[in-house]
Amino acid sequence: MPSQNKMIEVLETVKSIEAKKEKPTAEKISKELKLPASEVNEIMEKGVKDGYLAQRDGAFKITQKGIKIVKEHQQKYVHEKMHQIGLIGRITRFLEGKVINWKKHWRERHGLDNHSLQKFYNAIDSLKGRIEETSTIADLDTGEEGKVTFIVGGRGLIRRLSEMGLTPGTKVKIVRNAPFHGPIEIKVRGVSLALGYGVATKVFIKKVKEAN
Amino acid sequence: METRQTLTFALAGNANVGKSVIFNQLTGLNQIVGNWPGKTVERAEGKLRFKDKDIKVLDLPGIYSLSTFTIEEIVAREYIAIEKPDVIINIIDAAFLERNLYLTLQLLELDVPMVVALNQIDFAAKKGIKIDEKKLSMALGLPVIPTVAITGKGINELLEAAVQVAEGRLKLKPLKVRYGREIEEALEKIKGIIEEELSGLLKIYTSRWLSVKLFEKDEEITRKINLMPQGKEALRKVAEIISEVEKVQGEPSEVILASERYGIIRRIVNESMEIVSPPKIKLEEKLSEITAHGIIGYLVLICVITTMFTAIFYGGNMLIEGLEYVLIDLALPQTRRFLLNLLPEAITSIICDGALMGIVAGVTIALPYIIPFHLILGILEDSGYLPRAAYLMDNLMHKVGLHGKAFIPLIVGYGCSVPACIGCRIMETDRERFICGFEVVLIPCAARTVVILGLVGFYLGIHVALTLYLFNVVLIFLLGKLVYKTLPGEPMGLIMEMPPYKIPSLKNVLVKAWVRTKDFIYIAFPLIVIGSVVIEALKLTGLVWFLAEAMKPLISNWLGLPPVSGIPLIFGVLRKELTLILLSELIKLASLTPTQMIVFSLVTMIYFPCLATIAALLREFGWKKALGIALTDIFLAILIGGITYRLLSL
Ligand SMILES: Nc1nc2c(ncn2[C@@H]2O[C@H](COP(=O)(O)OP(=O)(O)OP(=O)(O)O)[C@@H](O)[C@H]2O)c(=O)[nH]1
Ligand SMILES: [Mg+2]
Repeated sequence: MPSQNKMIEVLETVKSIEAKKEKPTAEKISKELKLPASEVNEIMEKGVKDGYLAQRDGAFKITQKGIKIVKEHQQKYVHEKMHQIGLIGRITRFLEGKVINWKKHWRERHGLDNHSLQKFYNAIDSLKGRIEETSTIADLDTGEEGKVTFIVGGRGLIRRLSEMGLTPGTKVKIVRNAPFHGPIEIKVRGVSLALGYGVATKVFIKKVKEAN
Repeated sequence: METRQTLTFALAGNANVGKSVIFNQLTGLNQIVGNWPGKTVERAEGKLRFKDKDIKVLDLPGIYSLSTFTIEEIVAREYIAIEKPDVIINIIDAAFLERNLYLTLQLLELDVPMVVALNQIDFAAKKGIKIDEKKLSMALGLPVIPTVAITGKGINELLEAAVQVAEGRLKLKPLKVRYGREIEEALEKIKGIIEEELSGLLKIYTSRWLSVKLFEKDEEITRKINLMPQGKEALRKVAEIISEVEKVQGEPSEVILASERYGIIRRIVNESMEIVSPPKIKLEEKLSEITAHGIIGYLVLICVITTMFTAIFYGGNMLIEGLEYVLIDLALPQTRRFLLNLLPEAITSIICDGALMGIVAGVTIALPYIIPFHLILGILEDSGYLPRAAYLMDNLMHKVGLHGKAFIPLIVGYGCSVPACIGCRIMETDRERFICGFEVVLIPCAARTVVILGLVGFYLGIHVALTLYLFNVVLIFLLGKLVYKTLPGEPMGLIMEMPPYKIPSLKNVLVKAWVRTKDFIYIAFPLIVIGSVVIEALKLTGLVWFLAEAMKPLISNWLGLPPVSGIPLIFGVLRKELTLILLSELIKLASLTPTQMIVFSLVTMIYFPCLATIAALLREFGWKKALGIALTDIFLAILIGGITYRLLSL
C-alpha cells in the first residue's frame, strides 16, 4: 500500500513536469524521484483510482483534486519553515492546531493581504521541482549559498527586499548567523545586508550545491 | 540692477553614499555625517554661488527606490516629481554600483535632468573595483563625474556639469528604460487608459512613469487615482491587465519589474566595472568578524560602552581640575576685587556669584564632560560600529517590540535626546517610532551624564555612576516591554544595510564635536547665566527659603533631599545640566550624603525631558503623546527616587 507521503511526492513531480510543459510519464517520474519504476507505477495507479491523476494515452495528468492536495502539502511545508523561531514558534504552531482553511490562516495570522496571497500561490504554483527542495535563508549555514525562489509576506516586505536586490533568481551568501535565532547577515549583489531572523524565515531559496 | 538666476539642485541617492558630505562641501554647512544608513531624515537646504549664479542645494534623506515604502521615500519622490528641481544630482557609491543603480534607473524613468556623482572611488579602489566612468556615462546617457567627497575631489567638476545640464548646454541622451515585450505591451495598454480617463494626472507626471507605477501597484498613486471620478473603473481595468502578465510570468508584477531592472543594471555593470585586484581590506573583515560575533561581539559591545564612559569621566575630571584652578582660584577672586572698586556690594554679588559663577560652573562642570563625549560618539558614528551594535541587539530589541535599528537612535540619545527623537524615523511604522521615542528620552543624554558623572561619579566613584547607567538600561528595557504590551501590533523585522568599516576622518569628528558643543554653548550658556542670576536674586531676597519650604514635603520628606534642591530641579526643565550647576550655587555639593547624591542624579536622569526634547516630541508624535511621555516620566522619577531613598537608608 503506497503511503500518502509518497503519493504527494509523485503528484508534485507530475505537476512540476507539467509546469515545464512536458509530458509526465512513469519513466520520467521514477528517474526524478529515484524510485523503482514498479513502485511508481503502483502509486500512479492508486492515484488514478483515488481521482488525483487522469490517464490519457500513456501519459498522466494531474486532476483538480490532485492539485488541491499538493497545494495543501506545499503550504504546510512553507508554514512549518516560517514557524521555526525557537520554542515559542513551535508552541504557537501547536496551539494553532491543524490549519483547515489556509487562505484564512495566511490572511489573519500572517498578515498577507489578498494581493500578496495570490502572489504567493502563483509562486508555489510555478515552482520547478518539489517544495522540499526549497528552504529559507534561516536554514543555511555560514558560507552557504542559495538562489531566491520566492518571499512570503506583505506587499511592503516583498517590495523592500526586492529593491535591496533580493529578487527571484538572485544569489545570496550567508556571511554570518547570530546565535539564538538572531539576525543573519547575507551578501547580495555585493552588499552586506542584515536580516532579522523572522524576515529570513520568509525568504525561500534553493540551496546552491557546492562545487566539490 | 542685474537679476541673478537661481537654480535648484537636489541630492538624491541611497543611504550612506556621501550625500551629506557633498552637501557640506557645496554649501559650507555642517549636516551630520557618519557611517550608518539613515542619518539625514529631513531635507536640508543650503545656498552657494557659482560663477554668476545663485544655487539652492537640497540634501534629501537616503532612499533605495522611488516606490512608497517609507515616509522618506514619499517625501523625496513628491519633491522630485512635483517641485521639479532644475537638476538632480544622483550620488552613487562606486563600491556598490549594482544596488545603487537601481535608484538611478528609477530616476531615469522620471525623466528629469540629471547628473551622476560616482562617489567613494577611493574606497572602491581599495576593494579592487575599477569603474570606467566614460562607459558608464555612455550606458546611462548622463554625465558621470567621479568624486571623493571627503577630500573634495571632483566636486567642482560636478558643479560645473550640473550647471551645464541646468542650462541645457550639455546635450543628454538619457537611457530609455525598456522592459520585456509582454510588459511593454501591458504598459502601452495602461498608458492608453491613463491618457483617456486620468488625463488630469498628466500635469504632474508623465504617462510613461504613471503606467510603470500603476503596473507596480504603487500605493500612493493608486490612492490618488481612487479619489478621481473615473479612478475606480480605470484601476479595475489596469488590475486585469496586470494579472494577465502575472499569470504568464508567475511572479508579482512589482517583482517582475525589479528583476527586469536588475537585469538591465547587470548589463551596465558588466560593461563598465572591472575587479582589477583582490580586495585589500583584510583588516576590515577581521573587525566585522569580531564585532558582530555571537559571543565576542557582546563582550566588545560592553567594553566599548564602559570604555566610553570611563574615558569621558577621566578625561573630563582632568579638564575640570585644570579649569577650576584657573577660573575659580585665579580669575574669579581677581574679578570680584576689581568690581568691588566700582560697584556696590549687592550688584557685585549678583554679577560674580550669579552670572559669572554660572558661566564658570558651565565651563567647569558641563564642558569637560561634553567635549570628550562628542568626540567619542563621533568616532563611533564614523567608524561604522553602530550598525554592528544594532545587529547584535536585534534579538533584545524584539523583546520590546522594536528591532535592531532602534539601537542606533538609543545610542545617539546618549549624546542628545533631540536628534535621537527625530532619528526614530529610521523605524518603519508609527507604532515603532513611538516606542522608540518613549525609550530615547529616558536615555541619559550628555547633559544628564554631566550630572551623573559630576556628582555621583566625582564624589562616589565611577563604579557607582556606571551602576546608575546599568540601572537605567534595565529600567528602559522593562518600561519598553510594558509599552510594547499595551500597544498591540507585530514588530517589523530587521532589514538593514551593514556599511563597511572605515577609518574615522579626524576632520569630520572634530567638526561634528564642534557643531554639537556649539549648540550646547549657544543654547545652554544663556540659560545657565539667567538661571544663576535668578537663583542669586532669590538668595539675596530670601525667597529661596520660602520656595524650599513649599516643596519640602515632596523634596525632603519623600525624596530625602535638602529642601533647596527642589529649585534646581525645576530649572532643570530648561536644560538638565542646570540642576547640578544651580545646586552647586545653592549648597556645597560635598555636603550631600551619598544617598542624596544618588537620588538627585536618579531623579534628574528620569524626571522630565528638557524643553527642547519636549518640542521635538511634540513635532514627531503630537501633543497627546508628548504630554503622556512627559507626565509618565515625572511620575516615574518621583516614584523611583522615593523608593531608592528608602532602600538606601535601610
Ligand atoms: N572613503 C570615502 N568615504 C566617504 C566618501 N564620501 C563619504 N564618505 C563617508 O561615507 C559615510 C557616509 O557619508 P554621509 O554623507 O553621511 O552619507 P549620506 O548619504 O548623507 O547618508 P544618509 O544621510 O544616512 O542617507 C561617512 O562616513 C563619510 O565619511 C568618499 O568619497 N570616500
Ligand atoms: Mg545624509
